[in-house]
Amino acid sequence: MITPTLQHYLVVSGLLFCLGLLGVLARRNLLVVYMSLELMLNAANLALVAFSHFNNQLNGQVMVFFIITVAAAEVAVGLALIVAIYRKRQTAHVEDLSSLKF
Amino acid sequence: MNYMELLGALAPEAIVVLTALVALAVDLLVLRQAPQNARQVVAVSITAVGILAAIIALSVAAPSPPWMDGLLINHSTTAFLKQTLLVLALVAGILSIQSRFTQHTGEYVTLLLLSTVGMMLLVSSDNLLLMFVALELTSLPLYVLTAFNKESPSSSEASLKYFLIGSLSAACLLFGISLLYGLSGGITWTQLATTLRAGSEPIVYLALILTLIGFAFKVAAAPFHLWAPDVYQGAPTPVAAFIASGSKIASFYMFARIFMAALPGTAGSAAWSGATPGWVPLVAALAVVSMILGNVAAIAQRSVKRLLAYSAIGHAGYALLAILSNTEQGMGSLLYYVVTYAVTAMGAFAVVNVIERDVQAPNGESLTDFAGLSRRSPLLSLCLLVFVLSLAGIPPLAGFFGKFYIFIATAQSGTSQGLIWLVMLAIGTSAISLYYYLQILKQVYVVESVGQPTPVQLRPAESACIVAMACTVLILGCAPNWLINRFSPNSTEVRRAGVITKPSTTLELAAEIHPRITAPLGTATGLVQKRPQFETTTANAQ
Amino acid sequence: MEHDAVQHAVQSGSKIQDLAWLVLFLPLLGSVMAWFITRRDRVLTTVFTLGTVILSFILSVTLFAVFGAASAECTPFQFLHIGDLKVDIGLHLDALSTLMLLVVTGVASLVMIFSTSYMHDDASYSRFFCTLGLFVFSMLGIVLANNFVMMFVFWELVGVSSYLLIGFWFERPAAGDAAKKAFLSNRLGDFGFILGILMVWSAVGSVNFQEIQASLIKNPAAMGVWAGLAGLLVFMGAMGKSAQFPLHVWLPDAMEGPTPVSALIHAATMVAAGVYMLCRVFFIYTVPAGWPPALSFLGDLSAATVVAWIGGITALLAALTAVQQNDIKRILAYSTLSQLGYMVMAVGLGASTGNPSASMFHLFTHAFFKAMLFLGAGSVIHACHHEQDIWRMGGLWKKMPVTFWTFAIGTAALAGLPPFSGFYSKDEILATALEANPILCGLAVLVACLTTFYMCRLVLVAFFGTTRTESAEHAHESPRSMTIPLMFLAVPSVVAGWFPVGEFIAGHFGVRSHEGVGRVVAQEGIGPMLTMILGGIDHALFAPFNHNALAAFLGLFGVLLGGSAAWALYWNQARDPLPGLFTNLSRAMRKKFYFDEIYDSVFIPIHDTVACIMAWFDRWIIDGLGVRGIHGTIEIVGRALRLVQTGNLQTYAFLFAAGVAFLAFIALQ
Repeated sequence: MITPTLQHYLVVSGLLFCLGLLGVLARRNLLVVYMSLELMLNAANLALVAFSHFNNQLNGQVMVFFIITVAAAEVAVGLALIVAIYRKRQTAHVEDLSSLKF
Repeated sequence: MNYMELLGALAPEAIVVLTALVALAVDLLVLRQAPQNARQVVAVSITAVGILAAIIALSVAAPSPPWMDGLLINHSTTAFLKQTLLVLALVAGILSIQSRFTQHTGEYVTLLLLSTVGMMLLVSSDNLLLMFVALELTSLPLYVLTAFNKESPSSSEASLKYFLIGSLSAACLLFGISLLYGLSGGITWTQLATTLRAGSEPIVYLALILTLIGFAFKVAAAPFHLWAPDVYQGAPTPVAAFIASGSKIASFYMFARIFMAALPGTAGSAAWSGATPGWVPLVAALAVVSMILGNVAAIAQRSVKRLLAYSAIGHAGYALLAILSNTEQGMGSLLYYVVTYAVTAMGAFAVVNVIERDVQAPNGESLTDFAGLSRRSPLLSLCLLVFVLSLAGIPPLAGFFGKFYIFIATAQSGTSQGLIWLVMLAIGTSAISLYYYLQILKQVYVVESVGQPTPVQLRPAESACIVAMACTVLILGCAPNWLINRFSPNSTEVRRAGVITKPSTTLELAAEIHPRITAPLGTATGLVQKRPQFETTTANAQ
Repeated sequence: MEHDAVQHAVQSGSKIQDLAWLVLFLPLLGSVMAWFITRRDRVLTTVFTLGTVILSFILSVTLFAVFGAASAECTPFQFLHIGDLKVDIGLHLDALSTLMLLVVTGVASLVMIFSTSYMHDDASYSRFFCTLGLFVFSMLGIVLANNFVMMFVFWELVGVSSYLLIGFWFERPAAGDAAKKAFLSNRLGDFGFILGILMVWSAVGSVNFQEIQASLIKNPAAMGVWAGLAGLLVFMGAMGKSAQFPLHVWLPDAMEGPTPVSALIHAATMVAAGVYMLCRVFFIYTVPAGWPPALSFLGDLSAATVVAWIGGITALLAALTAVQQNDIKRILAYSTLSQLGYMVMAVGLGASTGNPSASMFHLFTHAFFKAMLFLGAGSVIHACHHEQDIWRMGGLWKKMPVTFWTFAIGTAALAGLPPFSGFYSKDEILATALEANPILCGLAVLVACLTTFYMCRLVLVAFFGTTRTESAEHAHESPRSMTIPLMFLAVPSVVAGWFPVGEFIAGHFGVRSHEGVGRVVAQEGIGPMLTMILGGIDHALFAPFNHNALAAFLGLFGVLLGGSAAWALYWNQARDPLPGLFTNLSRAMRKKFYFDEIYDSVFIPIHDTVACIMAWFDRWIIDGLGVRGIHGTIEIVGRALRLVQTGNLQTYAFLFAAGVAFLAFIALQ
């Protein structure tokens, strides 16, 4: 059993971040795109917690609490927007949202 | 820690939040059945009272020492910027009176004010945590406000794009913040400035890039600008005006602060020959792309709001020059530039708002709707002329001195004038920009309107705002020193408050104040061990 | 000591000098209000514009009484401080500027009163008064400016307002052309002026007059090799505004404007701006001569010498031309040119004696009598139903006595007959010339002789002899509002020379050579001066004979010679006898020495050829390859970039990620 070091945590967090980014780029459903974004936020949270732990400081963890709260607000706004657009257009697909262009 | 004192330092923000709640309560509880117009007037009046109170509170407040390691700092520059933000919010509120885009007046005003509070906090934080929270507090209401026109399909689409790209950039910024925190072990500017150095380690650059992206998105610098044209076009015009003005001031200020004050050790150089890695060349790259793309793509636009969006991208490029000059003079020029730009852009959008209401086209206004405006409303045309010429940078309007000052600050900052290539590029692109600005004026003054010219309907409050902003632009152009002096490095208050300090002095200052600031990092494993420069700093500190 | 008291008051912050801001802005305020509020009401427009100018005259008198020769700096207003470039908007009061304030506001008030009836029937009455107000504002700005940049801004404003006034009757093609010509000649001069300003700034590092003067006193060689060139380029500005050879061609044509405009702008104030400016920046002409290596063959030739010679040549050419002109206003215009040449020559000569005060003295007296002559001419023209040819007048002296007598006083003053004012100022110039450069002195005496000749010719032909035309037959005296300003101006035309203005100004330049009241004024203010003048009028009257008798007698000799020649030739003549006597010379004079023709035949073809080549270059190279090419490219790129904005969210996200990669690439490079 190896004890996880900072590097391990950072690698996981980096992978999560990239996964999230990939999801944003590749998925077509707005909800899934949105979940991928949350994944990216949580990747950052993981990194913060890891740094906080290995630096023997609490301020990183405090930050994470704030970020989780902010993210919750963001979820509320995001879902509301998705609902609004679904009501207007009857679709939740990314490629249908291109009336504003050029 | 005395919480009453903290409340005193936060009084202006507290007043604005209270105003937002009162406006919401009055609208929802008392005026539910009242006609739409009365609700709007009442809501904006409450806003006006609250904003005036906040402005007065700001002007009487004594400068206070930084709270909790720079979690909250107040000095004359932040007070002035906050007052400007409040005035812009009020103008955005006044422009929304009688507009038909929403029935939910109370919510609209509340969100506008909450976003303003976010900007105010953003201006006065020296701390990564408050910066992120304030940034989100600024953005989230703006996302919702962009979607406020439920009748228009483009409003919610614009909002969703704004929201998703915004969240993407926020995620990047957050990851950047976490890396900065991990690398430095601190979250305040002084802690960051003491420890972070440009070295061989790529992870520092990753942190810089990710942080940079967050702000590049907010200020609409290319290539992170793609949301801007869609949002400016799709959002209700007063909201677009606020995004283009208030949000720009707060974001640019924070952008410059975090890089100049918190990351001076990683600056690098963007000189034509002998560039060294750091955030300065990155900002230079953004500036170059923004200046070229913004000004060139604006030429092909047919909608004035989109055109203003691209012009905003170009202007962001010029403002980035001030940031990458990385000097006190650069900071002064940046603030002068963004404040005058914000007033000008707000004015231009206000005129567009009037025209848009006048034409009532389903797809918003277009350039041809301005044809013959000079005969339909000479006053409005004259004001638009002032705004557009100021954006184009024609003396003696404020826009000219903004550019002039930035160019001088940039040219003087690099060693042996290494940044002169950027200035030359900026001058070249601003020559291009004249072309599309004149397109607007051509429509207004030369082209005849289709059919009989009918006078444009203007409301007193609205026209008073527009005229006042045009006068401001003119006066700031005729007497630029009044504003420049407020931000100039010679201004003792700015210096005392340490808005910007040279890298070395920040270091010394930090070493004096926080001799043990980095001590806990000594126990960190792995990553820390690999940083020779960091170790020496720690050793010195201990 | 009253002088010390004034200085003390200045330092203790009583700030009475800030009244100068009011003097400056009142005329602007008046015309802006008149233009925006009362344009349709003639009476109110007059009240606003004329009232503010008179008010500013009263304030000028106050300032003159308080400050006299003491110098004071009004609280400056920071305009632009960026790096080394510090530009403030500030006003400077000293002997020069307070005197000039009096002249400008005083003459302007009288001219505006005159205009109320002269322009009475004009449809654009309000436009005229508002533009006059704007002009007074810009002229006062030149007078009060304490730095080059501010002076240049007002310099241009004067150019613009004079353009508007010359072209006031824009429906006449000649007026439009004259306005354009004036503006272009002025612009040509201004181009040199701004180059000169930049040169002084880069050499000395300041644009503030006081600071430049201080650093030049500390180190006279501060301008080094640029001294000569900077002096000449700055002089180019004066050359345009004060209509010096070879940029003098616009002034006679400018007579197309309404006559009050000619009186105010083209006699008393705007054309004097050049001379005033030369005196204001006199310190750059007293430094040792220096030329860049390419011009080193000029050796010790100083800019001031060139200035003096150009002034002398202008004076002579213009005087010769005036001899054979028949249009009453053109004669006066050429005499103005000639007198301006005198003044410019005096500045140039003053550089060697360190005292250009004679030119300011002449400017001061000339402003009154020349304005009066022009207004008198206006009165004549008005009476003769817009007849301007002197040979189509005659015998007017009985019909319009006030106009005649005032005109005669003006003529005597212009000719330099004692005890009229012109004699004293001209005498100072002659004395300076005698001291500095005898050749130019001889030339000046010749010009004085010619001046008397053509002015006597004008008076003899227009006012005496038989009435030659119908319109002159029916002439009668002009209304009160026209004659009163004439009478008002007649007083200073007579007595202005008795005041020791020259010495008053000389005190400003630190020269205290002459014994006399001027020194008292310079040291003790205005109060003692009045008592001294009242007690010593006889002293003042004969001062010229006392301090340089030769110059005074030379001047008198010139006057007598010219006057008697004119009498012999023109008394009771119906036609000009001169062309019969000197055919070729007379034709050359009549044709203004062919300057317009030379410019037309030499410069215009050269200009046209160059223009053709440039047009070709412009059309095919710049426009075709350059602008169209660049424009086309930009347009295409713009369209292409537009296509990037597909509207698809994921394209945006993809480009976002590409941006990250781009930044990473830059960072890791």
